[in-house]
Amino acid sequence: MATFDFLLQGLLVAAQPMNLLYALIGVTLGTAVGVLPGIGPALTVALLLPVTYRLDPGGSLIMFAGIYYGGMYGGSTTSILLNTPGESASIVTALEGNKMARAGRGGPALATAAIGSFVAGLIATLGLAFIAPYIVKLALVFGPREYFALMVLAFVTVSSAFGDSTLRGLTSLFVGLALSVVGIDQLTGQARLSFGVPELLDGIEVTTLAVAMFAIGETLFIAAQGDKGPDKVEAVRGSVWMSANDWARSWKPWLRGTIIGFPIGAMPAGGAEIGTFLSYAAEKRLTKHPEEFGNGAIEGVAGPEAANNASAAGTLVPLLTLGLPTTATAAIMLAGFQQYGLQPGPLLFATNPQLVWGLIASLLIANFMLLVLNLPLIGLWVKLLTIPKPWLYAGILLFATLGTIGANPSVYELGMLLAFGLLGYAMRVFGYPIAPVVVGLILGPLAEQQLRRALAISQGDYSVLFTSPIAAVLLVIAAAALIVPLILRARGRGEVLSQLAANED
Amino acid sequence: MKHFFLATILAGAMSLPAFAADYTIIAPANPGGGWDQTARSLQTVMQQEGISSNVQVQNVPGAGGTIGLAQFASQQKGNANALIVGGYVMVGAILTNKSPVTLKDVTPIARLTGEYEAVVVPAASDIKTMADLVEALKKDPGAVSWAGGSAGGTDHIAVGLIAKAAGVDPTKINYIAYSGGGEALAAILGSQVTAGVSGYGEFESQVKAGTLRLLAVSGPERIAGVDAPTLKESGLDVVVENWRMVAAAPGLSDEQKAAVSADIEKLAKSAGWQEVLKTKGWQDSYLAGDAFNAQLEKDVAATEGVLKDIGLVK
Amino acid sequence: MTKGHHPSTATRRPDRAALFIAVVLGAIAGLIFWDVSRLAGAAGYSQVGPTTVPYAIACCLLALAIWTGFEAFRGDFPERERQEVAPVIWIVGGLAAQMLLLKVAGFSIATGILFALTARGFGKRKLWFSLPVGIVLCFVVWVIFAKLLQLSLPAGPLERLFF
Repeated sequence: MATFDFLLQGLLVAAQPMNLLYALIGVTLGTAVGVLPGIGPALTVALLLPVTYRLDPGGSLIMFAGIYYGGMYGGSTTSILLNTPGESASIVTALEGNKMARAGRGGPALATAAIGSFVAGLIATLGLAFIAPYIVKLALVFGPREYFALMVLAFVTVSSAFGDSTLRGLTSLFVGLALSVVGIDQLTGQARLSFGVPELLDGIEVTTLAVAMFAIGETLFIAAQGDKGPDKVEAVRGSVWMSANDWARSWKPWLRGTIIGFPIGAMPAGGAEIGTFLSYAAEKRLTKHPEEFGNGAIEGVAGPEAANNASAAGTLVPLLTLGLPTTATAAIMLAGFQQYGLQPGPLLFATNPQLVWGLIASLLIANFMLLVLNLPLIGLWVKLLTIPKPWLYAGILLFATLGTIGANPSVYELGMLLAFGLLGYAMRVFGYPIAPVVVGLILGPLAEQQLRRALAISQGDYSVLFTSPIAAVLLVIAAAALIVPLILRARGRGEVLSQLAANED
Repeated sequence: MKHFFLATILAGAMSLPAFAADYTIIAPANPGGGWDQTARSLQTVMQQEGISSNVQVQNVPGAGGTIGLAQFASQQKGNANALIVGGYVMVGAILTNKSPVTLKDVTPIARLTGEYEAVVVPAASDIKTMADLVEALKKDPGAVSWAGGSAGGTDHIAVGLIAKAAGVDPTKINYIAYSGGGEALAAILGSQVTAGVSGYGEFESQVKAGTLRLLAVSGPERIAGVDAPTLKESGLDVVVENWRMVAAAPGLSDEQKAAVSADIEKLAKSAGWQEVLKTKGWQDSYLAGDAFNAQLEKDVAATEGVLKDIGLVK
Repeated sequence: MTKGHHPSTATRRPDRAALFIAVVLGAIAGLIFWDVSRLAGAAGYSQVGPTTVPYAIACCLLALAIWTGFEAFRGDFPERERQEVAPVIWIVGGLAAQMLLLKVAGFSIATGILFALTARGFGKRKLWFSLPVGIVLCFVVWVIFAKLLQLSLPAGPLERLFF
């Protein structure tokens, strides 16, 4: 089988000592920059890409693969330890991961993230190698109505991040949705909610909102506790490694996360964060320890992290087979590939097999290097928590603003960072969950645009939304996911509901 | 592990040039896009050809380039060392966003590259020629959905012009805007829409692979090596070129303007730039001086007309 | 971090802060109604135009405002811990200073001030120590990111002194 030959050949090249060293350097650099709060994978890859140009094509490709995986993984470290996700795909990781870190279980959280990323990366990269042409066909079947159904499903899953109050969860979500309307309406070119301010015409940057709400809001909240809070977090309680129980609870979420993340990453309008939402919701429904969700359940870290990495490999499917960059990171990678003479497109696998299989082999090696580098480092990362608070949080704000300034050095952007940071603080004080705001900002425009596109193509016929089999199945799953817990909740909280009803008249 | 990091940083430090800044080029878009690539190619070639020893690129993204343009016009006034990259998309964005700063507020130097639009349909489509598509459009404009880039952009303008030339009311076109060429391409490949319009480069590899059928291109003449008629040959009097240009700051003296123009001319004629055009697949459409200014005015007037016809500008 | 959820008691006074939140939510809804009403609702071939979704969001926000108002009267909001105001002001001051000084003073000085003021918010009073430390640290960061990695971070007098 020629495919195998090419892959073996690629692996042999990639496994040369010099290339292994390049992979290690790439992973180290990618992790080192990606770990800084506020600097997500897109910026990491953009920053470090030029470093690879100085090497020969083989070495540079492998170093690049290392940077890519390192940058993807680095973001989860600060999410877990410091509750400051620098990008949308690791928001869900912070939900459970940070609770674990606060309970002294930061080590196992980081380990399950690292091993889950490795497992997902391995399976997804092999998927990229062998089933990319089929996956891409599936992705192309997804038109506006299927995407709309997927967004409806994603909206339903947001409720798993609502915390203990439906009112406050919904309020957070709708604040995010209101923010998502700001800017030029993509389908008609009209400005909405921008009040004549040109800087608002492009809408609110998801990264800016995420960094402000999480990094700055969290810093303000911790500072406002004064001397009340514990002076230092107990970094390690129990073992820094995963226990047998942790393993038993992690492996299934890893696999489920991979299965959810890979195809969604491959869809031209999917996006890594949607896979992480769906994975989190799935784990929450399937877990045997529902009481731990919201207080540091390991499944809630293992699943989304695997989904995140699997969708990173999934993104390469449309990129390599169609030449479609579907995320900011992919767009930068496309520019990188062109430097290596790799012209992504439908003919790539046929005309340039060496380079493609070299890349896939590099991804496999880089994925492995990531594990080699990061498992021993976990003990060190956990020590981050022992840095005295003033210096730790001063450093977080330094890097959080660095990422924003680097992406767009504008006073308006920093102003938004400050304003949303204060909003994030206020919401923490009043017990509002933060994640739904960011989720609303991400999903709002996607759902609206896909709905309007679907209806425009059908010239206003609403029935098309349900007549496609894929869309219908997705909508049924969404309806079930919405109604079943409602019934359960209504039974459990019947008392509260009847009280509410009594108050209304 | 720290050592690897430091070693690489040091290696990087030694290979960096350390000259004083000569040119700052504003790319009014995010890293990775067309304007950014143009700016970074200018940077590379200017340094390589010795036109300028140090060139910095700065990204000021937002609102179809109008934010970068506004900032450039106000902050760089009289600075002969500042350049901005722009293009046809900016002409439309200035109109649809009601930008107070227009291309009149900077000093356009030269048009550098251009790309023609292409009209495609999925390979499985019943529509075989441009005439078939026009016929379908005339029969029921709503039934023909067009995928392309953002509302009011080059692709949308091209569709408006095609409808008008075919005698169909441009407000009746069913244009489905996508955020980028990539997403639109996926919709066309998946047969979600009837037809697609975007820059030819966006479709090139799919056309070659036979998954898309190329109906027409929007240049005044056929593109060399591409087997497709122009819109004009298909009986539609439409020529659209998505060009990119470079402009200098407002308020320059005639000598300063001449010096910048000379640098850009040297660049455009250099072997390094020709090499860049070839590898990136950009067409050389170098046009400077009064000829460029006249062309610019014509484009602005025509764009305003079609945007009014589509109903995007009042 | 999670605060105890107290069941409603009839004796509790209405929660003023929660009422304020309800008013703010209502105001956001009003703002959306006002802004979107000025748009041309050209829906084209889809029945859903650029105004439909914003109106729907505004209606939901209005409903949430009313719901929040109810909960405020019932005192259903969680108990809040007392917040220290001074540290928040220090940090917000640092962020504001960075924002205003960035273009004039450059990245290192502006961000160094943010660094020192944040540390001050967390109780490090010795600004004469933390300010230089912050500026030096930010300068090192600037060199790495702006010079080696070509990120465009604004330069000021300090950066120009060296480069």
